[in-house]
Amino acid sequence: MNVLSVKGLTHVYGQGTSSEAVALNNCSFDIEKGELVAIIGHTGSGKSTLIQHFNGLLKPSKGQILLNGKDINENKQTVVESRFKVGLCFQYPEYQLFEETVRRDIAFGPKNMKLSEEEINRRVLKCIEYVGLDESYLEKSPFDLSGGEKRRVAIAGVMAMEPEILVLDEPTAGLDPQGRDTVFELIKEYRRKTGSTVIIVSHSMEDVARLATKALVMNKGEVAMYGTIDEVYSRADELVTMGLNVPQITRIFMELKKAGLPINGNIYTVEQGVEEIIRLQKEGYSL
Amino acid sequence: MIKDITIGQYYKSDSVLHRCDPRTKLVLTIAFIVVIFICKNFYAIGLMALLTIVSMLISSVPVKMFFKSMKPIFPLVLLTAILNVFYTTGGNVLVSFWKITITDKAVFTALFIALRIFCLIIISSLLTYTTTPTVLTDGIEKLLKPLDFILKPFNFRVHTLAMMMTLALRFIPTLIEEIDKIMNAQKARGADLESGGIMQRAKALIPIIIPLFVSSFRRAYELAFAMDCRCYTGGDGRTRMKKMKFSLSDLWVFLVFIIVCAGIIFLNIKFVAVI
Repeated sequence: MNVLSVKGLTHVYGQGTSSEAVALNNCSFDIEKGELVAIIGHTGSGKSTLIQHFNGLLKPSKGQILLNGKDINENKQTVVESRFKVGLCFQYPEYQLFEETVRRDIAFGPKNMKLSEEEINRRVLKCIEYVGLDESYLEKSPFDLSGGEKRRVAIAGVMAMEPEILVLDEPTAGLDPQGRDTVFELIKEYRRKTGSTVIIVSHSMEDVARLATKALVMNKGEVAMYGTIDEVYSRADELVTMGLNVPQITRIFMELKKAGLPINGNIYTVEQGVEEIIRLQKEGYSL
Repeated sequence: MIKDITIGQYYKSDSVLHRCDPRTKLVLTIAFIVVIFICKNFYAIGLMALLTIVSMLISSVPVKMFFKSMKPIFPLVLLTAILNVFYTTGGNVLVSFWKITITDKAVFTALFIALRIFCLIIISSLLTYTTTPTVLTDGIEKLLKPLDFILKPFNFRVHTLAMMMTLALRFIPTLIEEIDKIMNAQKARGADLESGGIMQRAKALIPIIIPLFVSSFRRAYELAFAMDCRCYTGGDGRTRMKKMKFSLSDLWVFLVFIIVCAGIIFLNIKFVAVI
């Protein structure tokens, strides 16, 4: 079942002025329930513009966004509903923290949904757990936390709306490798526990390969490719022309395959690579 | 979008006025304001209006932009003109009914004042259209330099003031972009910024203002460190990469202005004053 359908979406900034710029051009795709879709593309390819249409922050110049088959821009009410159904977490979300305590900041979204006190409380407790922080954090000021913790609190604030689709724009930008792993781990956990659809915007092909079930490649405001990770990465040459790159380890194994080694599937992480090499060695190939 | 607001109305072009030294433009703008108040009759102010129109044309700034800057002032000009029509006494009576008399002198005065205000607006917008805010502050700094001697006992430096102005101007677009981002982030969490009464709307701004303050302080710290790292110690002994220089175009502009001034004095003496 398609939870989100984008039909012929075109967005033009500053329409009718001298600084008119086409940010999105006739984009169409469907996202199925429960998928983890990675949107990848070079800077300025229209990724951020695209995701801001999912919850009605931007209005399409042309085309439609269907959420569960219904146009989100039908009227004011449907736009407001889409804000809660599609949880959008922007780049560097820690800069949106404003409350005195972590608890109140996470509760900001649910409060705007006009939920009962108990329900809000339940969600706050659940979401702080989702992001791997314990309850002692709830009474702290968000401004006293470390960068990585702030980021996790901000993500929890979006998760607390219990959206059907969670959209994260570069959730690991500016984090150290350890912080990055933590964030990816918690996204995985969140998806396992809630079964909800997740969309991640990224330009790191390594990260995408580890997490996503599908990848959508944007190039110059158009959908250049959309398919499983294998499908997309097998077109490595095209990706390079778009200023993107498949993971180094994948390229090495692609070359090895071309050289005649019987390699199973595609390799996206170093761990997979190590396993594959051990397997090949056991089978008697000298590497 | 909020980003589209332009700050400082600089219009990029390459006219004689654009190439002029900011100090020339500042001094002449002030001189223009003084001279226009010296004008006593329509011949004199006509010459000033001519000067205004000529500078407007050689600036290569679209005339449309001048109308845009005059628009908000227009009601004020109209009000001033109307008041003058009714309150000026003397001269030949044109219309008279009930307690109101309108004389020809009153009409002339009203026209005169309206013309004067329009010239003032056009000339001062011309200054901001042809000079970037940064260059303008540099010019002000240079012009106010002598103040340093007077204000030395108070530990005041013109340079500090100019640097503050430059930085403030520099950060306006950055902050606008930041507001845009924060607003979107809070809207994504269901913040309602558009409905409700004044109190409710003011309250709805808290989630935007607090992050904005936090990031402004952060930026200020970072900027201070960055300036320290580049050994910034204030204006003393500081040299400039782009030296301000009087050029041939400055000379021309000054000459034209002086000739016009002479013309004004001549016209003031030769013809009867209306004001």
